[in-house]
This record gives sequence, structure tokens and C-alpha cells, in this order.
Amino acid sequence: MTRADKFLLVGILLASLVSGTALYSRFFLDSAGAEPVQAVVTVSGKAIRTIALQPGARSSFVVQGRRGASKVEVDGMRVRMQQAPCENGICLKQGWIEHPGQSVVCVPGETVIRLEGAAPLDAVTR
Amino acid sequence: MSKRATVIGCLLALLLIAGLALLRHSGANREYSSEQFLMDTLVSIKVYGNDRETLKTAVAEAYAEMHRIAELADGFAQPGTAAYQSSDVCRINAQAGKGPVPVDADTLAMLVLAKKYYELSEGAFDVTVGPLMDLWGFGGKNPHLPAPDQIKAALRSVGSQDLVLNEQDRTVLLRKEGMKLDLGAVAKGYATEKALQALKKRGIEKALIDAGGNIRVLGQNVHDSAWRIGVKDPRKSNEVVAVLALEDTSAVTSADYYRGFEAGGKRYHHILDPRTGYPAAHHMTVTAVTQDAGQADILSTVFFVLAPEKALQLAEKLAGVELFLVTADGLIRHTPSLRGRLEVQPGAAYRYDQSR
Repeated sequence: MTRADKFLLVGILLASLVSGTALYSRFFLDSAGAEPVQAVVTVSGKAIRTIALQPGARSSFVVQGRRGASKVEVDGMRVRMQQAPCENGICLKQGWIEHPGQSVVCVPGETVIRLEGAAPLDAVTR
Repeated sequence: MSKRATVIGCLLALLLIAGLALLRHSGANREYSSEQFLMDTLVSIKVYGNDRETLKTAVAEAYAEMHRIAELADGFAQPGTAAYQSSDVCRINAQAGKGPVPVDADTLAMLVLAKKYYELSEGAFDVTVGPLMDLWGFGGKNPHLPAPDQIKAALRSVGSQDLVLNEQDRTVLLRKEGMKLDLGAVAKGYATEKALQALKKRGIEKALIDAGGNIRVLGQNVHDSAWRIGVKDPRKSNEVVAVLALEDTSAVTSADYYRGFEAGGKRYHHILDPRTGYPAAHHMTVTAVTQDAGQADILSTVFFVLAPEKALQLAEKLAGVELFLVTADGLIRHTPSLRGRLEVQPGAAYRYDQSR
């Protein structure tokens, strides 16, 4: 085996490593921890605000839904609907959500807060 | 030199294979998702495939189907409006005790399915429950506990034996005046199945429709394995009590935690037993699992109203139907066929009966 052959062999090994990693990185990313990455707020199906979640960061903001203003509160890696104008208050009773894939839905206000990230479940029947 | 050529050949082949695999992987996994508020809930549709335009068209057509069924089954449209004109349910109700009403093929199909389960459940499921729902006020903003004699009177206007379906003429008749259809336990599931069929027509092979917690999945998930569908914990708002592994099927839940009110220290929810006129009290939650989402929607109500033993017996009798339930006293049970596709997470709050 010449020196050039050795280089080529190393090249093949590296290429295998790179392509293998590229192929399976999706898998590794998807199965990584259950922390949400960001919260997305939508009104009538349109994303109106995206919040990158960070441990310890607190904030709140107002969202104009179909029934008026709702207040969303962010506390580190969790989010909740703090105030809502609708009469049943289902979204308020739901409290904090903290896992990727979870959402708070206000049907009268057509407002949704969804946590995005590597979700352990595809959906929840309820 | 020839050895070197072989090695170069191998390297190129490897890169080609890796490249093709990557291309295929990323293309087939392209996701398109969209959500809409309809039928009084949030509906989200997620599809996977190669071509974004096809995915988008398929989802638009799926929503169009759902809107069409929602209009046919809308029981709350006001007379004189366009919505009232396109609602078969409103027109049938208005003609109760008067005469048969020509309807859309899908309205008839929903009612045929509903009447089938009325008979199979010996009246535990009944789409003519409308007068009772109105009496309790579950359609409006202020539900309340009616007096026993009011319930007795309303029960006289309930009973699918007086729902006459003429499949040949495609007409529907409610025989007695005061009768009223309520497709609340039928339409959402039926519409979901219609939406799924619309996706399939466009060649979609992987999809998830979540219609306010009514789940219908097509094929496998993006990782080519079964979809992981949680069953909501009936007493903790953001927890699940079990996880189902599902492929090309639907899971629909009926539970006691929605649309309820308290009176005299007791909680009342909206799933009424059409035989007694009062909310069914055997379960906290039941989940019906079967391929057709329309059938699953009806069955979830049937199972919720029946006592646990009867519900499990009926589920086992029906081909391709599975059932998961939590009884009112916190016992988790399911049909044996679900074993292997179910992870139960009972926690401290529930007991798990695995004997079945």
C-alpha cells in the first residue's frame, strides 16, 4: 500500500463518519432532552410572536385575540395564559405548560400558545 | 495504480450513496402544518411529503371538507342566514313532526352511522338528544341543573326510533314535533375522516389530524415508527395517563372534564345518558381506538355512557375496535388487544387492572 492509498483510506473513513453523522444527526437532535426551545403564539392560525425560552428569564406581554387582549406570562422554560377576556377561562385553568408539544388553546379568542422543541409525544387525545 | 483507482471508485460510490440517502431522507420528511378554528375547537393538520405545493393543496382540501361537514351539521345557525340554509340539521329540526327533508349524502351517512350505534348500544347513544342538551343549556353560556319533571318531559322528545332515514330518497324525518338532532358526538369525527380521505387522494402517506383532541393518524410518523399519542390525565391538566403507539388509525376521547358546571357541591358535565337525561357517571375518561375517526367519535360517547364492563364487552365484540378507560373510582382498564401498543402511566392517582 502506497502512502497515497493510506491517505485515501483515511479519506474514506472520514467521509463515512461525516455522512453517517449527517444522516443520523436528525435522530440525535430529536431524541435530545425534553426542554422546550421556544414558545410560539398564534392568533387565528397566524404566528404573531415567537419567544426563545431561557432559564431564569421572566417576561409577560399582551396578545390581541378575537375577543380582545390576553396576557401571556413567560417564566424561564414555562409559559401560561395569565389573563384572558373569554367567559369560560379554560385556558387560564390550564396553568403552566413546560414540555415541548404542549399548548394552551383559547377557542373564543382563537389564540394558541405552543411550546416547540423535541416533543416526546406526537399528540394528546383528550 | 489499479488499487488506487479501486479505492477512488469506492470513495465516490460511498459519497453518492450517502448523498442520495440524505436527499431522500430530507425530501420525504418535509413537513407542512396548519391550524384553523372550526367546529368550536382548534383543528391542526400536519402532513409530510416531498413537494410543498402538493402538501399545501392537500391540507387546504382537507380543511374544505371539514368546513363542508361543519356547515351541514351546524345546529346553532340562525333562521334567515346563509348558514341556516346550508345546515341540514337545522332544516331537519325545523321540520320535526311535519315532513321529511332532502339532505346531503354525508348528512345521511352520519345519521345512518349514528342510528346503527343507537341500536347497538340499546339507546345509550342517541343523536336525538337535542331537547335534553337544550334543557341543560350545554350549547349556551349558562348550563344549569334542570328540575326532575323538566327532564322527564324532555325525555319524551328523545329517541332515535322516531328518526326515519330514507336512503333511497335521501330524506330524513323526525317523526315527533319537539324532537331535535344534536350531532355533537358525530360530526367532528366524521369530518376528520373526510379530511383524512382528502389528504390520501393527494397521495399523502404520513399525516396527523388533531381536531380538538380527536386524533387521526395516517401511516407512520416522521421517524418511520408508530405515532406516540398521549391520553390526557383526566385530573391533571398537563399530564398524560397513558401513551398509545398508533399507525393509520384514530383515537377519540370522551371525558368528564369538559363543559361542566357545579351545582349544590356536585359537578355536572355535558355527556348525557339519553336514557336517564342525566350526565353519565361511570367514567372519568374513555378513549376509543379504531381506524375510522367517525366511528371512533361515536364509540367514545357510547363507551362513556355504558358501564365499564359493558363498554369493554362491546369493544371486544366489534372488529378492529379497542378501548382504554379510567373508571369514576380511578381504575384503569383496557381491551386486551391494546396490550403491546399501550404504555400505562398510572402514577399514584389511579389503579391499573391488567387482569383483562
